[in-house]
Parts: sequence; C-alpha cells; structure tokens
Amino acid sequence: MSTDDESFHPLGDEWEDELETMLDDTEYDSDLGMEMAQDAMRVTKGELSEAEFHEKHHEAVMEEFGEDERPTKEAYEAAQEEAKGTASRMLGAFDGDGEETRRETMKKMGVGAAAVGMGAFSSTRDGPMESLSAEGGHSETTEHSDTQWGMTIDLERCDGCLTCMSACTQENDLDAGVNWMYVMAWEDELHEGHEEGTDTGVYSSDFNMGSDFNMLVRPCQHCTDAPCEKVCPTTARHTRDKDGLVLTDYDVCIGCRYCQVACPYGVNYFQWDEPHTDYEDIPKAQDRDVDSPDEITHAQYEHGERWVDSRAPRGVMSKCTMCPSMQDGQQGEEKVGTSACESACPPNAIQFGNVKDEKSDPSQHREHPSKSRAVIRLSDEHTDASKGVPSPETIDETLSSDDDIESALEKFENLDQETLSIMKAIELVSDRTEPGDEENNSILRKEQEIVASVDAFEQYVDLETDEAITQLQLGDGSERQARFRIQQYTGKPNSFKLLEDVGTHPNVTYLGEQPGPEAEQVEGPTKYEDIGLVDKRQDLLDEETVGGVDGVSL
Amino acid sequence: MSTKEPSEADILRPINTLTKKYFLVYGIAAIGLLAFIVAWGYQLQKGLVVTGLGDWGSGGGSTWGLYIGAFIWWVGVAHGGIILSAAVRLLGMDRYMPIARIAEMTTIGGLSAAGFYIIVHMGRPDRMVTSIIGHYHITVNNSPLVWDVTVITAYFVLSATYLGLTLRYDINRLRDDLPDMFEPIYKIMTIGYTKREDEVIQRMVWWLAAAVIIMAPLLLHGGVIPWLFSLLPAMPAWSGGIQGPMFLSIALMSAISGVTIISYGFRRAYDWDHIITDDIFRGLLLWLGFFTLLFLWFQLQAVFNGIFLGPLDKAHAAEAKIAHPLYRIAIGLIFGSLVYIFAQGIRPSLFSKKRALVVSCAVLMGTLTEKVLFVVEGFMDPHFNIYANTPGSYFPSAIEWLSLVGTTALVVLLFLNLSKLVPVVELHAIEHLRGEHEHSEEATEPEVEA
Repeated sequence: MSTDDESFHPLGDEWEDELETMLDDTEYDSDLGMEMAQDAMRVTKGELSEAEFHEKHHEAVMEEFGEDERPTKEAYEAAQEEAKGTASRMLGAFDGDGEETRRETMKKMGVGAAAVGMGAFSSTRDGPMESLSAEGGHSETTEHSDTQWGMTIDLERCDGCLTCMSACTQENDLDAGVNWMYVMAWEDELHEGHEEGTDTGVYSSDFNMGSDFNMLVRPCQHCTDAPCEKVCPTTARHTRDKDGLVLTDYDVCIGCRYCQVACPYGVNYFQWDEPHTDYEDIPKAQDRDVDSPDEITHAQYEHGERWVDSRAPRGVMSKCTMCPSMQDGQQGEEKVGTSACESACPPNAIQFGNVKDEKSDPSQHREHPSKSRAVIRLSDEHTDASKGVPSPETIDETLSSDDDIESALEKFENLDQETLSIMKAIELVSDRTEPGDEENNSILRKEQEIVASVDAFEQYVDLETDEAITQLQLGDGSERQARFRIQQYTGKPNSFKLLEDVGTHPNVTYLGEQPGPEAEQVEGPTKYEDIGLVDKRQDLLDEETVGGVDGVSL
Repeated sequence: MSTKEPSEADILRPINTLTKKYFLVYGIAAIGLLAFIVAWGYQLQKGLVVTGLGDWGSGGGSTWGLYIGAFIWWVGVAHGGIILSAAVRLLGMDRYMPIARIAEMTTIGGLSAAGFYIIVHMGRPDRMVTSIIGHYHITVNNSPLVWDVTVITAYFVLSATYLGLTLRYDINRLRDDLPDMFEPIYKIMTIGYTKREDEVIQRMVWWLAAAVIIMAPLLLHGGVIPWLFSLLPAMPAWSGGIQGPMFLSIALMSAISGVTIISYGFRRAYDWDHIITDDIFRGLLLWLGFFTLLFLWFQLQAVFNGIFLGPLDKAHAAEAKIAHPLYRIAIGLIFGSLVYIFAQGIRPSLFSKKRALVVSCAVLMGTLTEKVLFVVEGFMDPHFNIYANTPGSYFPSAIEWLSLVGTTALVVLLFLNLSKLVPVVELHAIEHLRGEHEHSEEATEPEVEA
C-alpha cells in the first residue's frame, strides 16, 4: 500500500492529515488518537499484539473516554485468560460478531480515536471501504442501521391537489420546474381515468377525498440499492449510514449528471444556472427561526456536517432529500420523522417514517392498509370534525349508564352510527400495540386513542351484545368480520413498489393501482400552473439556450 | 508504386519548410479553437443552461447530448487509431507502416479532444481533481464513469509511451537535420539513448502493441466505454451486450476514416505520393468496408431485437430509433460508403483518392451523428416512460456545435505542431520502402525469449 515512510496510514499522508483534522475538531485528545492510530497500524502489521495494544493505552483511554471498549479488549482479556490457561475466550474474539463489536465500539468512543485509531485498524483488516464508512462517506458498509426513512403513499386518497409539490418547493426554495416531489395523473388500458365534462372529477365519498383520477406521487425513492449512488464518480451521491437517506453532497458533486442518467425514476433535477434563491435568503424566505442558512441546509453526519439539504447551488445535481434537517432535529423535535410533503398533504395520503420500524406510520400503513386508512380517516385533523371521534373524557362527561346506542349517538353532534361501527371494528381488530416513543408514530397513537374511546364508550353502552353487533353491521362480531367491515368502509388497496423489477429496492411503498408499462400521464385535477408550479422545465431552460433552434429536436 | 525513392529528406520536409498554406491552416484552426474557448468561457460564466440540455423525466429534456456523444466519438477515434497502429506492428502489416505514426498521433489528438469534452461537460469542472481523485479508491469499484476515466488515462499513457519510444530511434538518426530551436525537447526525448536499445525498444513496442490489441475489446471501446451506457437498466435504448462490438466497430470505422483524411492531407501538402501510396488508401478503404459491414450487422442485431417482439420499453426505443430521420441519414451515409467500397473492390477503376476522402468524411459524419443520437435516444425512450414530457426535446445550442469545431481544431493544431517537431512518418517506414529490412523484421517477428 503506502510507500511513504512518513505516513503510518495505508491510504497515505493526505488521509492521515484529514483524520488528524477530524480529530482536532472533536473534544477528544488528538495526540492520544494519533498515537493509538500508529500503534493500531503496528498491530495490523503484527509488530504489536492486540493485547499489548490494549494494555498500552488502557489507562489513557479510560481517562479520556471513561470506558475502554476497543475491539482489542477481547484480545486483551483473552491474553489474560490464556495466562490462566484458557484459550476459549481467544476463539470467541474471532467469531462473526467481532465486526459488529468493533463498529459499536467506534460509536461509543465517539469521533476521535474511532476515526483515526480504529480507522487505521480497520482499513488494513477490512480494506479502505470500511474505514470510509467511519467518515460517513459512501454507503458501502456492512453496518446496517435500524433506521431507514421512507414512505407509504396512498394513491387512492391522493386527490391531486399538488399541495405537497408546493410545500416541497417552498421548504427547499426550489427553482421553477425543479419538482423534487412530482404528482401526476395517469391512464392506461386497464385504468380509465377521469372523463371529460364531469366537473373536476374530485368526489367526496364518506371514506376518502379521492378522485376518479389515477394518481402517482413520485418523490425520490431513496433506494436501498440506489443506481445513482453506484454510478457517481465522486461519492457526492451517497447513502447516509445512520438513516438510509440518499443524498447529494453539494460540495463534492462535479455535475456530470450520471446519477440522473442512471436513475430509472427520473427524480433528479440539475441546477443548470444560478438558483433563483440566494443562499443567504434561504432562511428568510422560509421565515424560519434560525440565524444562519448553515444551520438548516446542512445535515448532521457521524463526523461533522455536510451540505445536502435545500436547493442545490449552480452546477450540481439535486433531488428529493426527505428533509434531512428535519430528521436531524434541526427544525425541532416535533419535526423528526416528518417531511414537508407529508405535513402538507390534506388527505394524509403520504405517511413518512422509519420503514424498518414496524410501529412507524409507513410500516403500519403498508402492513394494515385498510385499518390504517380508517384510523387516519376517523382522526383526520385536516377535515371538518364530522368524523370526530370523541375523546374518553368527553364520553365520560356525556354518557350515562342508561344510554343505548341511539341515545348515545344523539348526544354527540359529530358521531354517527357508521363512525361508531368503524371505531368498534378497529377496536376488534386492534392488537393494542403501543406506539412506542419513536418519532411520529401517529397511526398507532391514533389507533390507541380510538380504542380508548371505544373502551370508554363501552363503560356506558355495551357494544358486544348480539343486538349491538348487528346494529353496527359487524357480522358475528369476530375479528374477521370486523376486518371485513373496515374493508367495506375504506376499500382494500393493492400495494406495490415502483419499478421493482429494476432492482433498486425502493423505500417508498404505494397503496392503490400500479401504472402499467404503457401508462401515460394525463392532465390531473389541478393544473401545475394554477398553483404557481412549472411542469415542463425545458421551456424555461430553452429561454437561456444560446443559439437554440425553437421547435427542432434531435 | 511511385518511381521516386523515399528518402529522409521526404519525411523531414514538414519540419524544415514553412509555407503560407501552413500558416493559413494554423490560423483557421487557432481561430476555431479560440472561438470555442471563448464560448466555453461564457458557458462557465452562465452555467450549462446555455446548452440545449435539460432534465429527462418531468422536465422534458435530455440530460446528456452532443458533448457526451462527441466525447465517445473522439474516444472511438483515439482507440481505433492505436488499434490500427498496433495491428500494423503486431501483424506485420508493413504496407501501412508509413501511416502508423499518424494513427498514433491521431490517438493522442482524439484523447485530448475527449478529455477536453469531459471537462466541458461538467457542471463543476473546478472540482475534477478533488472530487474524483480524492474518492477514487471507492468509486473505482462502482462507477463506470470512473472506469472510463481510468482506461482513457491508461491508454493515453500507453499511447504516449509507444509513440515516445519509437520516436527515439528517428530523432537520434535524424538529429542533424532537425531544427536546433527544439534541441531541449530532442535531448529529453532521446535521453540515455544508445543504439543497443533499438532491439529492446522494438520488443517493448511489440508487447505494447500486443497489450493494445488484447485489451481493445476487453477494456477499451469494446468494453468499458459501452458499459457507461449498456449497464443501465433505466435506458432500454442503450442496453444489451451488442453495444460492446458496436462501439468497437464504430471506433475502428472512425479511426480509419480519420487517418485516411489526415494521410491525404499530408500526402498532398508534402508530395508524399511515393510514401503514402495509393495502395495504402486502397487498403484502408477495404478495412473501412470490413468494419462498416460489421457495424451495419450489429445495428441490425440491435434494432431487430427491439422491433420483433417486445419487451415494450425496448420496442419503443427501437421503433423510435429506426423512425428517426437523422438515424436513417447516418445509416444511409454509412451504407452508401459500404456500397462504394465494395464496388471499387470489384472494379478497381472506380477508386480514386478523392472518393476515398469523400467516403471517409461520410463515415465520420455518420458515426458522429449515430453517437450523438445514441446518447439522446436513451432519454427519449426510458424504461419509465409515463411522463407526459417524455420524450422531451433536445437540440444542441450554438456553443455545443462550436465544441465540434473547437475540438477538431485542437486535433489539427496538434498535428500541425507535431509535424514541425518530429517526423510524422517513421524512419523505419522509409527504410522499409527502400528495402532495408533490418529493423522491420524484428518489429514484426519478434523473438520471444521470455
């Protein structure tokens, strides 16, 4: 590897300097880190045993970090045990979990010695790819975070209002035509769309606010096997280790646009000229409570920050980011686990969250689409209160024990028999999973609220009697019949992932009809230009083309 | 064959003469290059918005266009050039020795033009070094674009070494007749030269040539360059293993045409009828015909695969391709050239150097058009073609067109400059033509001792 005697690191001097700078930025002792790093290299070369390495720095590490969980701990302990005549501990240190332990240790030790000491340590053991993951660089890593931001989008609840597109544009100060979030209506042979002359085609059924348009909502899919990242010649396009977001480092991108070429979804938008919002104006335009754009447009990494959020500067690529500054808590704790488009969506068609957590909104919506739809509908804060589920407190205040269903319903202005029926059905199918303290698990939380209200209701009115069950159209009152009742109410949508055959492993799941291979975009219920959006960006770009020929195309 | 005896004076003529025509050509080329550099400066100032490019998808544009099309075309010219020269050395095609160095210089020129295009194409060319080199150890594992840059760099080094080694022999022997003002350059180029190295150099060159021939289909225009496109499932117009042989055939066609044109120019300018003989042009034309035939065969395979029976995305791409007027013109030009080449093969009286020149120009136009179209086609008929604005529109802007002038001028200037510095025809070739075979035999039939 390195022929340079000056550098102890296999990736050479420059690398070493970079690491040292990183170390200096941390609160930990740089000298200790560098010294340990050198010794770690000696370990990899066999000049020093792991046990010796551990012993040599044990005291200093304890003093600096308060704990010493270095990967060499096992070797150290093994050596001690071996001295007692046991070799079994030694073998344990080499089993498969060793890798995980080392990574865990790196985390615990914080930035300092981890990046340098263990970086050097792991780079010869695992190759340079591994050590780079410590930098928060490319995603080629064996470490799997238990967070993966993603979405479940209910296309049948999407009414094509394009509010999400506007919200995204506003949140990120995007230029006209840069539609990170893109919503389109489509048709194909099997899916006739809206017929001409039937008004807007948007109808308001009891359940949804959908339309007879077939919709497709297309943010970036934040693929697990992102082709854009794979082809990037610079690592600017990368997957963030901690949460699986696929982002562009605006300070590294060279603007070759290969990511846009390789992405099968067409989610990338290049910044062909100077963005219309100056960098300095980003917070002002948003009326955000921050002093510097840096606070909001930079996202947190394992080691420092990178500029990956908001609109791109000139000459680099941009696309939907899934709002990393929100996920990092820079816009307040309440925004963690939400995105601008999700918060803005009037019918709550977009459910954003950690798709690896079964309690999260996207997981719940994906796994239990009908029930989730019902839960969302009954506790929809966007709509008028006609479907308002009364809180247990209100129920306690309102009902008395001599009420029956009719008299009870009469006492609540907003509660009708169908709502009560669905509430009871939800209660019947609910396995009462607690939402947990993870961010923004609103579907389970709302489900719990509905279940609590049903429980409160049943303090006064028995809903389990045959008569009540029949009245609420719940069949024989079984879980199966309750599920069927919910499906009657909300429908039972298909689910799919977009272009799964391409092998990208997208992290957006759709509920509703999948566009066929011959599907074509058609005009939707809301026109892009009506709410200040531009659909065909090329028209704007052509205005700046030098010596372009109008209407001629290759 | 000409009755004139080829001499050292012949190949030194470009170096030791200075004509009005030379200045005229030099001036025109310099203006062409300068014009593009100014235009590029404007592009740097304003951003890539000055091009006709745009975002494919909802945006209704084409992400890549003439810049990338011309880039792969120049790379093709370059790769074809070095393959040509390597074949001459490796397979003992002594007949083409007088143009071997022109082919090598074409490679250097083509690679320079291609390299220039990479920079021109970037949104942030200022980050080329920091972003690419700094992460090379990671990206080389994934990115076809990095593979591309790697092999192009490798071949630049290989070609320059190859050219540099063979020049040592000539410079040393012709030194007394070379202009003194370039003395430092000659000194550097012949540093440590002794006559004993000739044999060694011949062997090294033979091995370099062998490496070029072996690696051409694997790593060059038959491998890595087409992978830039053919590995992407998003664009059915590009996919398929046929792109490897296709690219290689285009490279060879373009290079043979390019070398024909340049050889024609030198022959005319310096009365080299007896060095770059009609025989060479006839031979080049036949080789051009052979590779043209291969190219048309590959095109047929690629298109027929799409139009016979789906899959739908491939079918759309293929249908759009064959329906495109420019595609028909490009293929027409190339097919017409093939017809002429075969006709003159059967009836030699149909041959003339002017016609060979016209055919070469036609093939170059055809391949360039095909390359640019090929790039754009990907964005017009992608796998995910639901967008109303796809297929979008793209027409190169004035600046993009000017880049063709600029890069061509760059290559012309390279030849004009090199021709004043070193002989563009090898001394070996002259010796061979005179019947002095002592070196060429070693070159073509090396003793493998290892």
